[in-house]
Amino acid sequence: MLSLLSRFLQMLFVLWVVATILFFLFRLMPGDPTVAYIDTNFNEEQVRQLKKSFGLDQPLHVQYVLYLGNLAVGEFGNSFHQKQPVLKILLSVLPNTIILTLSSLIIAYAFGSLAGAWLAWRRGTWIEGVMIPLVLTLRAAPEFWLGMVLLSIFGFQLGWFPSGGANSAGALYTSEWQRITSADFLRHLVLPAATLALYLQGLPLLLMRSNMLDVMSEDFITMARMKGLSTRAIVLRHAARNALLPVATAFALGFGASIGGNVVIETVFSWPGLGRLLVSAVAASDYPIAQGAFFIISVVLVVMNFVADLLYSALDPRVSHARRG
Amino acid sequence: MAMTRMKLAFSRRRLLRTGLSIGLMSGLVISAAEAQQGDQIRKLVLITGAQAGDPQEFQSAQLIAQEWRKLGLDVEVRGMPRPQVSELVWSNRDKWDVTMWRMVGRPERSDPDELVYNLFHSSTREKGYNFVGYQNPEYDKVAEAQRGEIDLAKRKVLVEKAQDLIMQDLPYFFLVYPKNVIAFNSNVWKKDSIVEQSGIGVRNFWTFIGATPAGATKDMVLNSADPLLSINPLYISGAVDSWLTDLVWDRLMRVGPDGLPKPWSAEEVKYIDPTTVEIKLRAGQTWHDGKPVTIEDVIYSFEAPAGDKSPMYKPFVSNIAGMEKIDDKTLRFKLKTPNASFFTSVLAKINLIPKHVWEPILSGDTLKGKNAESYQEAQPIGSGPFKVARFKLQEETVLEKNASHWAAPKMDRWILRIVTNTEAAVGMLKRGEINYLSDYRGDPKILEEIGKTQPEITLAATVEMGFRHVGPNLRRPPFDDINFRKALMLSINRNVQVQAAYNGYAVPANSQVSSALTAWHKSEQFKPSIEEAKKILEKAGYRLVGGKLHYPDGKKETLQSLN
Repeated sequence: MLSLLSRFLQMLFVLWVVATILFFLFRLMPGDPTVAYIDTNFNEEQVRQLKKSFGLDQPLHVQYVLYLGNLAVGEFGNSFHQKQPVLKILLSVLPNTIILTLSSLIIAYAFGSLAGAWLAWRRGTWIEGVMIPLVLTLRAAPEFWLGMVLLSIFGFQLGWFPSGGANSAGALYTSEWQRITSADFLRHLVLPAATLALYLQGLPLLLMRSNMLDVMSEDFITMARMKGLSTRAIVLRHAARNALLPVATAFALGFGASIGGNVVIETVFSWPGLGRLLVSAVAASDYPIAQGAFFIISVVLVVMNFVADLLYSALDPRVSHARRG
Repeated sequence: MAMTRMKLAFSRRRLLRTGLSIGLMSGLVISAAEAQQGDQIRKLVLITGAQAGDPQEFQSAQLIAQEWRKLGLDVEVRGMPRPQVSELVWSNRDKWDVTMWRMVGRPERSDPDELVYNLFHSSTREKGYNFVGYQNPEYDKVAEAQRGEIDLAKRKVLVEKAQDLIMQDLPYFFLVYPKNVIAFNSNVWKKDSIVEQSGIGVRNFWTFIGATPAGATKDMVLNSADPLLSINPLYISGAVDSWLTDLVWDRLMRVGPDGLPKPWSAEEVKYIDPTTVEIKLRAGQTWHDGKPVTIEDVIYSFEAPAGDKSPMYKPFVSNIAGMEKIDDKTLRFKLKTPNASFFTSVLAKINLIPKHVWEPILSGDTLKGKNAESYQEAQPIGSGPFKVARFKLQEETVLEKNASHWAAPKMDRWILRIVTNTEAAVGMLKRGEINYLSDYRGDPKILEEIGKTQPEITLAATVEMGFRHVGPNLRRPPFDDINFRKALMLSINRNVQVQAAYNGYAVPANSQVSSALTAWHKSEQFKPSIEEAKKILEKAGYRLVGGKLHYPDGKKETLQSLN
């Protein structure tokens, strides 16, 4: 319990460091947020008013204290350009990003762990010779390239899937739930999710395969063989279960990592998500949105790290934080 | 031992000192001899947008630098992200040498006043848009005079004079008036119902209310690469946002397809005297919530931005001294000074807003100390030909036709999709996912190719009223010398710029008033010539030493290159 608390405190410390870096990062970056308003009628009075409304007329340390205080109560401030509360803007796109990330992670990890187990079993065959380079190529291919290839084939040429966005033009839904469960939404989801999944599947697959190879050489597998169990039972019930552990951890971490890493895919597929919001905010020096988006991403990453830790001890009792007497 | 070392060190120091003073003396001698000749001109840094962000501008800068190097100048082209360029040029006015820049076309710039006055008047030199630091009392006089001249013929003479002065003083090196290229599906929209607005192109108010369905599809689906920022009649937020505010909120006047202001929500607008304008409100107009548009609403619309609630619109109403209601249909504006562009830049600019909606917001505590820009109406209410049906700023905005409007649109819905990927936007047009490519930043040739295989994809290219130019910093030598500027200008071949940097989708530019504004533009014959440029430099005393250009005799280099 004590170690849990200490883990939690560590988490808070990490978030404070992240928040501080974010604060200074954007303020030290070249480019003043008021320059976005430069126009033939723009004058000094307007610059002054803008800075005041952004809170940038205060000394840096005052801004910092205000910022931390606000952050502690979940207040991210207002966007410089959209003028709306950052949290509201972030929450409006967050569901799209989470759905995209989760669905592709699930596909990638389900496929990756099964294929990894299978490839470990088929070690040394021609299948391995074809599959491993293919997996590595997909893993190494730039996401935007992969996305454009899929878009060009299945979108522009075959017309099976729409070329971008999360819904058809003018589609009307009564609720958010109805929207994300609609066939239209799912059809829009296929290409971006497939691109992300193709990119993500490499890690679980290779991880699973090498774990399987380790596990397969252990005594209890030999024992199972001696007992005369079927191959299927050995691979799935005995070996795979044990090899799955690191993959589960990777899943939790992968979720944290890819929620902010979808920038490229969201741009290619015009998917209205967090990554795209982040890019436009950075480009426009919209500090509050950029800070907020990065912070949320960090929170998810740190929390998922924590979850991975907990998951580990739950899945494998040998790993535990509790002190043993 | 220690003693000797100290002595040694001491004498070494003396020796050094003596050596140093000899060196200094000889330096003095040399500089005395060199005082005759001018210094070599420092390396000049030509600032441009980053290659990835604006390939055309970057290419254009490379071409220019290439020519300038032929004059013996050391020129570095430096690409930077746009906000960084803006900050450097705008906030550090004495630090940079020369920058690529652009002005974009907007309906209110159909009147030349904004570009004639704000760009070059000396009052905007320190903090405003005259960042190149141009100063000419004669120009100031002409710019002020044209602003106050309501007689069209007389004003035209003044605007031409202003253009002459700029062509003579060269505070800008004009490059091109770009062509705006977009495309639409003519199986969906009748070609002859798409209106071209002078200097703006076919993506404009008149197209949106006039576009007539050719078949069963009655929804116009458009694209934008940037998300919307807000839908607010009191906030000038982003360029794309203004497409919407234009449709949702009516104005007393609108800039017509010919670039001239015409009465709109006012059925009549006339001058009583040079500082009094009288309008008559069109009868029977209603707000989207069904309430009638009254003269009180109109008064309120012009009063609201005057305080501190709408800082972006405030400059547009600052010349209004007062308003006088004559009767329920008639209103008189009293101006502080005569203003020739009042119709275009004020009456066609200020959104009419319902008093019953905005007064409680602006005077109550809804805003919590903030200004009106931070207020997003859940259901925006205007009196324009389109109503807001629903909006998700990052995704999609749907407008519906306002069937009860006196100029009701022919289409049912206007749907703006945010498409961040240019190739995908083109793919969508080909597949019919969108039917009006309203935002295209790629190579126009690609659209041309598509038009060949899919003839229903119709291209529309229009010369913009905006322009691209090079801004030399007149505060910094050698740019303060008109002969130097003349030589630099002569060495830029604008025809090459059009072909090599803009793929032919532009026309050469020569003045701050675009050739798209046919009523105001003054043309010029120009012949680029490196030889002529070299002659001018030579005549002005510049010397080539070892292939490097030096200042005229006696002139020292006192400035540092931008680091």
